[in-house]
Amino acid sequence: MTDLLTPGAHVDTTPRIDREPRHTALATVSVIVPVTERPDPLGALYEEYVAPLRERGRPFEFVFAVSPTSGAPTDTLAELAAQGEPIRVIGAERNVGETALIRAALKMCHGDIIVTLPAYRRVKAAALEDLIATVENGADVATARRWPRRDPLINRLQHRALHLLVGRLADNRVRDVGSGVRAVRRETFDDIPLYGDFARFLPLLALFRGYRVEEVDATQHPGDMQTRVYSPGVYVRRLIDLFGLYFLLKFMDKPLRFFGLAGATLGAFGGAVLVALAARKLSTGEAIGDKPLLLLGVLLLTLGAQAVALGLIGEMIVHFHAPGRRFYRIRPSAPAPPPDRPP
Amino acid sequence: MSQGLALSVVVPLYNEEESVGALVAAVREALAGMPSWELVLVDDGSRDATAAVAAERVAQDARVRLVRLARNYGQTQAMQAGFDCARGEVVVSMDGDLQNDPRDIPPLVAKLHEGYDLVAGYRVRRHDTFLTRKVPSWIANRIIAWLTGVRIRDNGCSLKAYRRTVLEQLDLYSDMHRFLPALAAATADARITEMPVRHHARRFGQSKYGLSRIAKVSADLLAIKMISSFRERPLTLFGAGALATALVGIALVVAWILLPLNSALHVHRVYVLPAAALLAFALACFLLMLGLIAVVALHATREASSRLAREGAVAAPSAQTLGRLS
Repeated sequence: MTDLLTPGAHVDTTPRIDREPRHTALATVSVIVPVTERPDPLGALYEEYVAPLRERGRPFEFVFAVSPTSGAPTDTLAELAAQGEPIRVIGAERNVGETALIRAALKMCHGDIIVTLPAYRRVKAAALEDLIATVENGADVATARRWPRRDPLINRLQHRALHLLVGRLADNRVRDVGSGVRAVRRETFDDIPLYGDFARFLPLLALFRGYRVEEVDATQHPGDMQTRVYSPGVYVRRLIDLFGLYFLLKFMDKPLRFFGLAGATLGAFGGAVLVALAARKLSTGEAIGDKPLLLLGVLLLTLGAQAVALGLIGEMIVHFHAPGRRFYRIRPSAPAPPPDRPP
Repeated sequence: MSQGLALSVVVPLYNEEESVGALVAAVREALAGMPSWELVLVDDGSRDATAAVAAERVAQDARVRLVRLARNYGQTQAMQAGFDCARGEVVVSMDGDLQNDPRDIPPLVAKLHEGYDLVAGYRVRRHDTFLTRKVPSWIANRIIAWLTGVRIRDNGCSLKAYRRTVLEQLDLYSDMHRFLPALAAATADARITEMPVRHHARRFGQSKYGLSRIAKVSADLLAIKMISSFRERPLTLFGAGALATALVGIALVVAWILLPLNSALHVHRVYVLPAAALLAFALACFLLMLGLIAVVALHATREASSRLAREGAVAAPSAQTLGRLS
């Protein structure tokens, strides 16, 4: 994906990690900020979130991955970089999603712990250190939960709706999927295939892979409490994503169970209709060749057969890809030590 | 890989804290006469103290090993993890609930050495509920034998012995442990036989199965049939389906032509029957096209694997996922 992203004219490409205070016992952190829609002024955002890292004396770098449609001016970032701040800005040539931006940024990150941060303020900056410390203490993924929530009604409703759908998938262990503020161990991030818009669901995918995911309460940022309404298309896309995610997590290695059940149900209805028609024909001698119901029966049978056939294709693809593929993950024998050195 | 170890016994465990101790003791006693062996316990993300109890046994006996999975993945993946870790020339799998008897292991291994790749145990005098366990299992085994041609009386019995070389050619996914003999016959050309083994009533805890799995097993059966018969020629399967559907379409067309047009309703008849025929033809085309997709998928996979083989890059499958063993 890096070929999509080219450094802009005013971009500093040299890797620079701010190691000024040099507490080498602390893990190095790369903060990825995908910039897509309605970003806050990036310079101020950086200044705000960098404070706790600097205070802790932690080696860090920031990578801003900017989509051209965001319209975000990056000159303040360029200025900051010129002043020696550990900032890099990469720009996509065409409009790509948040997940693609994160993936591209990940390729040039050097940190042991990767933090993803939305380009708009969701939580208070102090949460960053809490998240990083959680990963240092053995979690593979630490995700911020905005708590306590003080949201306008519309946001609350959106949150509820999302979690109604996601809750069962997450085993209710992730209660704020949408926060987008996360600290992730580098190896974990590399191990989870991210495409489409699935970066949003990273904690769920990590849970599914068997990684240790912990939620950390974070103070909500006042800026996050404004009502957010998106275009209808966004909601439709999210819903489709959720459906895809649900299917993937439940039926990834057994598609025929899903398609087979759907096909059998459709086929059973179709069969029932045809049997009822045949019974009528046999008992009353009534002609059925002219009944639209006959068409419905045949149509349902056809759909059922198609569903089963699709499921078979799915099973075939799973089988072809089985060699060498393993679904399980072995638990590390001890709580994983902090990536760098124990503090 | 195998440092001359003769036998690995692989036991997946899920919430078996009461059974583990007795199980390890029974295995040690049963295998006292065997030259070299190891016992691989796989903790499948148990929520009770299974892992802790197992770890104690590991500390007491170097021949006992423990693999802990990161979460509950189900029996198939637990078995696969155990197989990946097993180092013995012969691998025996069994249940962790003490319903299998470790004393059956030496005869199974002896049978394997008579020249088989897989010896499946079948439970005589099975101690399970009749209606929810035995009857469905009897039917399922008959169907499996009929569909796959692998005549095993008891696919559901976990107590089986395998040659390692066979297991290395198998990659389990979904709930394939139930169909392991059929899978081994289809993908590894295994020579398979069976022999009677003991079966005890459950001593601790609850059975972890119920009737709800019938729908799942039915879907899996269809999948295993497809794999065992059509993995090399998927177009045959879909082509035959397409042909059958097309014949139905033709029959509908013939019926339409032969129907007397004297009814007052013949105008409707003109539409409905041909429409049903068209649907059948559409399904035939759809199936044929799916068959082509399957060919594309098969070909792409085979091409990729032969490319890897040319580049000498076929690594041991377990290398990436095998973490540290405790």
